[in-house]
Amino acid sequence: MATQEELLEKLKEGVVEYEEDTVKEASQQWLDEGYVALDGIMDGLAAGMEIVGDLYDKNEYFVPEVLMCADALYGGLAILRPHVPDSEEGVNAQVVIGSIQGDVHDIGKNLVKMMFDVAGWDVHDLGRDVPLENFVEEQLRTDSEVVAMSAMMTTTMLGMKKVIAMIKEKNPNVAIMLGGAPVTKDVANLFGADGYAESAGNAVSEGIKMIGRLREMRAKG
Amino acid sequence: MTELTPKERVMRLFKKEPVDTMPFFSGMGMVLMPAINELGYQFPKVHNNAEMMAKSAVMSSKMFGFDSVVVPYDMTCESQAVGNKISLYEDSIDILYPTIPEKIWKTMEEVEFPDNITELGRIPMVCEAIKIAKQEAPDHAIGGWILGPFTMAGQLLELDLLLKGVFKQKDMVEQVMDRITDMLIKVGKAYKDAGCDYMTLREMATGTDLLSPRTWKKVIQPRVKKILDSWESPKVLHICGATDLIVPMMNECGADALSFDIKNNLLETREKVGDDMLLFGNFDVYELPCKEETTAEEAVEAIKVNIDGTVDAVWPGCDLWPDIKVENMKAIVDTTREYGKKPSPAVGRT
Repeated sequence: MATQEELLEKLKEGVVEYEEDTVKEASQQWLDEGYVALDGIMDGLAAGMEIVGDLYDKNEYFVPEVLMCADALYGGLAILRPHVPDSEEGVNAQVVIGSIQGDVHDIGKNLVKMMFDVAGWDVHDLGRDVPLENFVEEQLRTDSEVVAMSAMMTTTMLGMKKVIAMIKEKNPNVAIMLGGAPVTKDVANLFGADGYAESAGNAVSEGIKMIGRLREMRAKG
Repeated sequence: MTELTPKERVMRLFKKEPVDTMPFFSGMGMVLMPAINELGYQFPKVHNNAEMMAKSAVMSSKMFGFDSVVVPYDMTCESQAVGNKISLYEDSIDILYPTIPEKIWKTMEEVEFPDNITELGRIPMVCEAIKIAKQEAPDHAIGGWILGPFTMAGQLLELDLLLKGVFKQKDMVEQVMDRITDMLIKVGKAYKDAGCDYMTLREMATGTDLLSPRTWKKVIQPRVKKILDSWESPKVLHICGATDLIVPMMNECGADALSFDIKNNLLETREKVGDDMLLFGNFDVYELPCKEETTAEEAVEAIKVNIDGTVDAVWPGCDLWPDIKVENMKAIVDTTREYGKKPSPAVGRT
């Protein structure tokens, strides 16, 4: 029988070393031992991803590594998530996410999405090249608390400003997160956004930092 | 000394011969909305018509006093030429460049280019636009560009296939990169033969916010070098995003000039490459010419900082965003001429 610590270590290590099979195996074992699924997600998978974020910040890992770590994380999440009772999620939040019209790249968007998936949010993923009004419509339809948008190109990012204005006009309480290579913090502030992730890559570290904060909150709570 | 023509200024700069003042030019798109409006064109239409493309490029340069005329504007020509559909966003009120919404190739194995690639899609049209631009603006330097192989791969395949493939399918990635490289050499040659005075290789998506320096050395550098070797001078290598860690490798690729965006620490780069290398870029194409809140005075100060940052030409760090503020754009070019009267590290003054 494996102890919780041993299995958490295996989950973490598996994410960091992008060993998807190890992560899947350890996730299954975690459930078989009767441990709490959400603990495995937060203290195993998410904790591993935090280490990945550090490695990325230190220029030891780059986007290819992070993408493979994300695959490993999702491998575990698919096994553990169904065993988290709704009451235990701690979060009952929804997010609308997508890459803005004119932008057909979605690596950054997908990495931010991972953060919400880990945290157990309901994610409404509009995909990429999303017309501006679709963000507004989907937010209204779902009453999501957060709208997260990314743009890789300078030329597409100005569209974000319009979406933010449209959403804030209809529902001032919605939090807006922006990310993408050309969006700087100044731009995000200027556009009236509430959160910001600096690039496809920095979306990784920003997203991961948010996981870290969620974990802290959970530990305190 | 007599004033040089824009073309003379650029060509002398590339040879590191003294110039009258600092050039303002680019190797990336610099088409501007005031020019498109003046001609009565619409942005989505200029990508599909050689004459509209050439005339809007020439008008942009003449209206604002740029030294170069640059075509094409979008990154989808080669991908369209192999059969992908492009979105032109004709119904959008925003300025959006053409994109490839869905790629026909789903795996790396499928990547194969027809021998006559330069006769397909809009590539002949771009060649035609280069010729028209040359006729319409004989005093301007005509710039053409192509994407580097890794960035081009993102127009042909889902990028995460390649990114993950760097580890999981090394041989396949190398093969795909070689095929794309050979295709790009042909397209670059076609643009050059059509009359480009200089060429820029934009291997944009390979900064260290995406790839490791190790991957850059192994996968990117040999192909970048091969493409640059296939071109006669002048030739420029541009990379976006975090580039500080790969500057020395970029400097080994055979380009006459290196170009960066705002994430590069230019003063450190100058130390690394020495005073003999032409350095361009590091100029914020949104903040300075476009942002509503940026005054012309602030733009002027920022361009002075850019020039003091040891660039040899004022050269936007990316495509100029077409919807510029006229006052700021003019102030930026004027400052380049005035403040750029002093010599730059690689180029003296007459």
